[in-house]
Amino acid sequence: MRILVVEDDAEAATAMVRGLSEAGHDVTHAVDGAFGLLEAQKGGYDVYVVDRMMPRLDGVGMVETVRKGGDQTPVLFLSALGEVEDRVTGLKAGADDYLVKPYAFAELIARVEALARRRETGGVQTVLKVGDLEMNLIGRTVHRGTTEIDLQPREFQLLEFLMRHAGQSVTRTMLLEKVWEYHFDPQTNVIDVHISRLRSKIDKGFDRAMLQTVRGAGYRLEA
Amino acid sequence: MRLPSLLRRTPFRLTLLFLALFVAAAGAILAYVYFASASEAQGRARADVETELGALTAIHRTRGIDALNQALVERTIRGGPYLYLLTGPDGKIVTGNLSAMPFDLKEARREDSGEWNTFRLTSTDPDGRVEARRSIGVIMPLAGGDTLFVGEDIGGIEEYLSRLTQALWGAMGLVMLLGLAGGLYISRRVERSMAGLNQVVQAVQEGDLKVRAPVRHTGDELDELGQGLNTMLDRLEASMSSIRHAGDAIAHDLRSPLTRMRAKLEVALIDAEAGKIDGVDALGIALDEADHLLKTFNTVLAIARLQAGGAPDPKVMDAADLAADMAELYEPAAEDKDIDFSAEVEKGLMIEGNQPFLAQALANLIDNAIKYTPAGGAVKLRARRRSSGEIEYSVTDTGPGVPEEDRERVVQRFVRLDNSRTEPGSGLGLSLVTAVAEAHGGRVVLDEGPGAYGDFGPGLRVALVLPPASAGMI
Repeated sequence: MRILVVEDDAEAATAMVRGLSEAGHDVTHAVDGAFGLLEAQKGGYDVYVVDRMMPRLDGVGMVETVRKGGDQTPVLFLSALGEVEDRVTGLKAGADDYLVKPYAFAELIARVEALARRRETGGVQTVLKVGDLEMNLIGRTVHRGTTEIDLQPREFQLLEFLMRHAGQSVTRTMLLEKVWEYHFDPQTNVIDVHISRLRSKIDKGFDRAMLQTVRGAGYRLEA
Repeated sequence: MRLPSLLRRTPFRLTLLFLALFVAAAGAILAYVYFASASEAQGRARADVETELGALTAIHRTRGIDALNQALVERTIRGGPYLYLLTGPDGKIVTGNLSAMPFDLKEARREDSGEWNTFRLTSTDPDGRVEARRSIGVIMPLAGGDTLFVGEDIGGIEEYLSRLTQALWGAMGLVMLLGLAGGLYISRRVERSMAGLNQVVQAVQEGDLKVRAPVRHTGDELDELGQGLNTMLDRLEASMSSIRHAGDAIAHDLRSPLTRMRAKLEVALIDAEAGKIDGVDALGIALDEADHLLKTFNTVLAIARLQAGGAPDPKVMDAADLAADMAELYEPAAEDKDIDFSAEVEKGLMIEGNQPFLAQALANLIDNAIKYTPAGGAVKLRARRRSSGEIEYSVTDTGPGVPEEDRERVVQRFVRLDNSRTEPGSGLGLSLVTAVAEAHGGRVVLDEGPGAYGDFGPGLRVALVLPPASAGMI
């Protein structure tokens, strides 16, 4: 996918461009908000990755301008500080997700891909299908093949998120933020325990494990 | 240079200004009194002279020059305040108590019907002293060529006026002297008080925040200023010392994890060189350590910010929802460790707070409890309203607990008790909980747990007590 990286720190930008390119993406770099805006106007991007602090036009200004122009391309906001206010300002300006520097590449890539995917799967779905796993969002039922799987409400939400991002890596932080809707450091592997419970329900007794652990990143649901 | 510097002082300048105003006003009053008295006295004398002149001309008119002469002689002998002189048509003196006409008729100013003038009457007393006294008089030409002069010595009035003037000048001089002295005194006093304040300001400029202005408890405005200055300095000193303390603490806090990271990297390097691990593993270790350090750094920063600025972006929220979510999140992790996890959450516990920070605080408490409770133990999360109305989260475990004498210490940064060193952790968990509690106007209370629990105990109960949301906010 095509990604526009708007970042004034040359080293951070180089690393980001390299990391995203190696993950198979087509990356363009703009050195500040003003150039970012010019580049965004050319169109054709799937995701904008925008730094908050920049000379001339900063991230908030750029995202606001982009949104005013009717451009709905997903925006991942980057900031050096994990301040609550910063997150709120970023999201208010029109950003879709927020990442605190310094971050792990796996986290950046997972979030960028999740944003791009969310765009593709627009529209209301009532049934999610990944391989032989099927989730009915109306009846709140899950089947793998012909076997009905009984899930707790939170497990259902967790699986729904994984199915919506099937084939992509999702990190533990993303799961805590998107499924539990909390922003804090849980200190231990609480998410892993929830995943392993879900895994035992959807994979146990089947030939192939769908819910896979991605080393250094998180998890991935494979068809 | 004493006077010029004194002249620059505001109180002294004000004194001088008021003194000048007073002198001008007093001078104006004095001048008015002087002129009013003078003209009043002169007017009275002139009226007297006029009456006398009227009587004499009437005598002359009705009974002739001889009768007038007779009357003048009588009056001169009898004595009185008046001056008389009658001259014949040839200008020779006929009678009177003056040796010559005091002024020429032609020089006299014409006023009303008569010829008025003021003059100085010169007389020589027996001692030979010449005295010139102010007088007024009128010259009246009479039918038949004679000329009559009637006047009055008004030297007494002049003496009175000059005494009055002297007295007033004296009073004014005294006022000026007293005013000047008062001005000097006030100015000195103010200067002394100001000098104290100035010294304080100067010392603060030079970086000494310990100085305080002298306060005399007189309740005047300078005292108020001094007290205000002292209060300001107290706050300034407190915030400076808290900043310095935070800076020191951060520097100190980061030294140990940095040292640890360096040591681990060195070991990794030696191991990699020796071929025990490969370069990728060594980099993996380095990355893990860097992440750990960043986490520590973020926590230290969060604590410093909470301590400096309180809880950011507080919102009214239900403490019960947070407790239920945290219980749901942590329950599987506890059960994986064979710990019986239970939650007891009352409904509708409204507080005003920052949800991410409160979640972090609860996570730290629950994580600690699970970490230090051996398998087979129990952890309980409670959220309830205290009888005081405060909202209390508490996490109770059946671990080894914290001895009473250590309870104050464990909430400090990086304090880890000896028996906890085998568990991973930064030693910042409880410090953050305390910072979160205090930023919300609450507190953290450490207590003994439920007592012996099988082979374990006595356990630990950590309570996070928060003020309820004010009624108006809900």
